[in-house]
Amino acid sequence: MEELKWLVVDFFQAFAAGLLVGGTYGLMCVGLGIIFGVMRVVNFAHGDFMMLGMYAAYYLVTGFGVLAFLGPYAAPIVGAALAGPIVFVIGWLLHRYLIARVTGARVVSAEAEGHYSQIILTLGIALVLANGGLILFGSTPLSVQTPLSRESWEIGLIFLNQARTIGFLMAVAFAIGLYVFLTRSSLGKALRAAADNPIAAAYVGIDVDRAHRIAFGLGVGITAVAGGLIASSQSFQPYIGFDFVIVMYAGVVLGGMGSILGAFWGGLTIGLVQQMSTLVLPYQLQNTAIFVVFLLIIFFRPQGMFGRVWERT
Amino acid sequence: MLRIRSLNVAYGGLHALTDVSLEVERGQFVAVVGPNGAGKTTLFKTISGVVTPVAGEIRYNEHDLLAVPPAERAQLGIAHVPEGRQVFASMTVMENLEMGAYARNGRARWRESLEMILALFPVLGERRTQLAGTLSGGEQQMLAIGRGLASAPELLMLDEPSMGLAPAVIDAIFERVHQIHKQHGLTILLVEQRVAEALESCDRGYVLETGRVVLEGAHDTLMSNSAVRRAYLGM
Repeated sequence: MEELKWLVVDFFQAFAAGLLVGGTYGLMCVGLGIIFGVMRVVNFAHGDFMMLGMYAAYYLVTGFGVLAFLGPYAAPIVGAALAGPIVFVIGWLLHRYLIARVTGARVVSAEAEGHYSQIILTLGIALVLANGGLILFGSTPLSVQTPLSRESWEIGLIFLNQARTIGFLMAVAFAIGLYVFLTRSSLGKALRAAADNPIAAAYVGIDVDRAHRIAFGLGVGITAVAGGLIASSQSFQPYIGFDFVIVMYAGVVLGGMGSILGAFWGGLTIGLVQQMSTLVLPYQLQNTAIFVVFLLIIFFRPQGMFGRVWERT
Repeated sequence: MLRIRSLNVAYGGLHALTDVSLEVERGQFVAVVGPNGAGKTTLFKTISGVVTPVAGEIRYNEHDLLAVPPAERAQLGIAHVPEGRQVFASMTVMENLEMGAYARNGRARWRESLEMILALFPVLGERRTQLAGTLSGGEQQMLAIGRGLASAPELLMLDEPSMGLAPAVIDAIFERVHQIHKQHGLTILLVEQRVAEALESCDRGYVLETGRVVLEGAHDTLMSNSAVRRAYLGM
């Protein structure tokens, strides 16, 4: 009886951990999903923009201590939120001067052409960011210091790490904010229209290239916030992007390529699978579990959980 | 209002349009007819800026249209209702109409245009929260025209509004197009394969064949032209 009780507790503990981690994964995936959804560009550098978000949060909070005046509790949260606009600007500029040369309305409408150069370019950006990060930030693993990561809330017999819980709540808040932006604001709707049908969008007067620039900045910015949130519960180094980009792709494909809301659920699912798998599998097989579930879903539902087949034929 | 002079368009060396000249006066209903592949859609795409011509001139009111970037052209009061409807399938009917009003004019006159659109196509009002991709072909065409009207345009360009629709639906659509022209006095440039319906109501018509204007003239001239009657009207 006692044994069963702990089995149940373990289950819920893993479920809670999965939910908390999954929330931030979900936000990351939304960032990648918005870029794919609007621009039809596979952004290989996405994990490295997340890495930039982590370092932005780190330098704001711990490194330069610009936000130290906010105290050890609020500073990491504000730091993560501010990582968004910083990386937005970086992404916006990179798109304006580099990525726009191989993407844009012309390429979106002719799906076959231009994809090779996008893949090579974003892969190149990934390498430059990761190795540039190595030169600038060094290889020592860092993390954003917060007392929250060592404290937990207890709900019954379940422990909720405070840093992760707050990260989760922030991630959900950002995802909801983005959802409201995309469904309620005129600019958000224009982004969706440009994603849905770039030619018709141009006919109604939407500047599709500008929409792409905003989507790219927004996508990397959102993921940078997720990175900033994770940075206070996990150590990181300049190469961490490679670890996460796999998780992000799995999440986006799971949710259904092009479905921005689906990407959040995809990321959440990945987090849950990753943490729950530790109940039955050794810790090292976490990512294997992700891909087994991933393959199963792709096998039975190739359009992803939320993908609609008619969205783009 | 719209004046096109010796427009030449080529896709990779293949001539799509050769020396096409065309004129639309304010308040007119102008039809461009001709068989498949005559270059009708290319003509529209060039006016909207999706296709860049090799040579020629397009003047719209006082503007040199070819110097205006594509996204800006919608701001000038040109509404392009594209071939194959091209509604925003993953957005609701209402959102599609809102997107139509994205340009300055459209925003300023959103309320009155919406009222007019819903009066013309009541079905759009009934389906306002439905995703456009789930509408029937006829309803999508009505939505596409509604989206064009939402920009409160001066010139409404309709590309093949009858495409892929049942005859009864086509009649209903053409009836609405007349109504838009007659009641609301909108200038209309229509491209159609269904020559009889298109010429019947136009003030002026152009017959396009393999990228050239082979015939042009006022409604009566075209309708009584024996070549047109034989080739297109089956008389």
